[in-house]
Amino acid sequence: MNGFSHILRATVVGLLRDRVLHAIVGAGLLILVLVPLLSGFSMRQVRELAITLSLSCNSLVLLVLAIMLGAASIWRDVERRYTASLLGLPLARHTYIAGRFAGIAVFLLVCGAFLGLCGCVVVWFMRTEMSAGLALNWFNLVLAVWGDICRSILLLALAVLFSSISTSLFLPVFGTLGIYLAGSASQEVMDYLATEAGKQLPQATRTIAEILYFILPNFSVFDFKVYAVYGLATPLKGAMFAAAYFVVYGGIVLLLAIRLFSRRELP
Amino acid sequence: MRKWLWPVLFLAVYVNLVVPLKSFMDNRPVAVKLGYLPDGKVLRYTVADQKPLVAELAVLKVLFYFGSLVEQWQNQIAIPPEYYNMYRMIESAVRLDPYNMDAYYFAQAAFTWEVGHAEDVNHLLSYGMNYRTWDWYLPFFRGFNAAYFLKDYQSAAEDMKRAAELSGSALFTNLAARYFYEAGHNDLGIAFLRAMVQRERDPKVKKAFSLRLEALEKVKQLQSAVVAYQKKFGRLPSQLGDLVNSGMIDAIPSDPYGGQFYIQPDGKVRSTSSFADQTKRRVQQ
Repeated sequence: MNGFSHILRATVVGLLRDRVLHAIVGAGLLILVLVPLLSGFSMRQVRELAITLSLSCNSLVLLVLAIMLGAASIWRDVERRYTASLLGLPLARHTYIAGRFAGIAVFLLVCGAFLGLCGCVVVWFMRTEMSAGLALNWFNLVLAVWGDICRSILLLALAVLFSSISTSLFLPVFGTLGIYLAGSASQEVMDYLATEAGKQLPQATRTIAEILYFILPNFSVFDFKVYAVYGLATPLKGAMFAAAYFVVYGGIVLLLAIRLFSRRELP
Repeated sequence: MRKWLWPVLFLAVYVNLVVPLKSFMDNRPVAVKLGYLPDGKVLRYTVADQKPLVAELAVLKVLFYFGSLVEQWQNQIAIPPEYYNMYRMIESAVRLDPYNMDAYYFAQAAFTWEVGHAEDVNHLLSYGMNYRTWDWYLPFFRGFNAAYFLKDYQSAAEDMKRAAELSGSALFTNLAARYFYEAGHNDLGIAFLRAMVQRERDPKVKKAFSLRLEALEKVKQLQSAVVAYQKKFGRLPSQLGDLVNSGMIDAIPSDPYGGQFYIQPDGKVRSTSSFADQTKRRVQQ
């Protein structure tokens, strides 16, 4: 077993034993249990509300986990001087960062898949309830869960990037949160710029918005919730773009994090 | 003994605090209870991937508020409803999630009959029809509003035809033909409301529809008696009591909204309640 595998395994095992994370995932499960009750409030789309609540629950839990783990893990290792001990061993810095990232990503994948599966079970129980949408599309439901997992892993990469350069916890937490909000709105801004009202904006504003659009991560790419909720036609092209975007953008952020962490002066 | 003193003291203070606090919270102005939701066009930028959830929460909030209004109507108490704010919240909801059927359904239930904003509702329905391209409800609602409230029979016939195509049934074509060419205004409303009451599952909205249906059925009963009276005596009755005296009806029915039915000089039957027209009713202090 090489250094990468050791770090990955240690990270996953450590996270699986963490009681705080048990509580967060447990809260997600509790919300899923309440979904059938809450969905009953809808007038015409009980099934759609059940899917909305299940997917939103999964998405929010993954968001919290990605920011919390991504921001805190490396910062904590540096702060408690674990890195000094670890990197004293024959272990390269890039292996340490990649191992930590991969370990948390596996944990997010497991949590997302587990909550997604529980959500699917809830939706299965609610499948015959009143619906105003098209037929239930299970593939779209899986696609939406997959999109949320990809988004959370990309967010994790950004948190690791901030964590690898910051000496404080604030930058990784609020920086990642800020990028998440900006990245979720960037597509909306571009859509607005394409309207007649948007075209009336000053050229400088439009150019800045376009530059930011290409620099910031576009989290709307991973949002397949509406397709799952209303059973719309599966956006296969969109799913393929999302997969490619996830690999390329995630890879760039991770490489940047490794590069910056390798140059960092550690205590 | 001493170690229990502080906890007991705090518990006593808490109980004394929480009872008036609950009363205060329960009696907040309705506008505060309904709250405020920013415009959907702006909100889209801030709610990230939770647009369907936020949209549904906004609709449910308005629905709960509407439920409290229906209860007030039943108790013959009128409160000034925040219709403008309610409509804005529903509009914001569909901007966030243009597929949300609850929003369109609620808009149809609340803003046409109660407020008379059929034109605004039809704009909302037109917006929804761009997205919910499979749904026959939206053209059905829009067609009904066009015929019943806006008297635009040509648009109504087109929408009913669209509803018939989408539902795969000629029912709407037949209904449209019958409503528009054979039946009167009240019959159109009664037929629509009967269909809605039959399909509705939310008790509050169902209650609102049922109240309206009951009122229209009573108007229809009185209106038929007025026509019969005119045929028999060659003139309109001067008051509804004439219908009872002449044996056309046994008694003047009661308005479910708490008003009194009366007859206009042109022979049309109306009610002093205007069927929950809040501007003409007693306002609860």
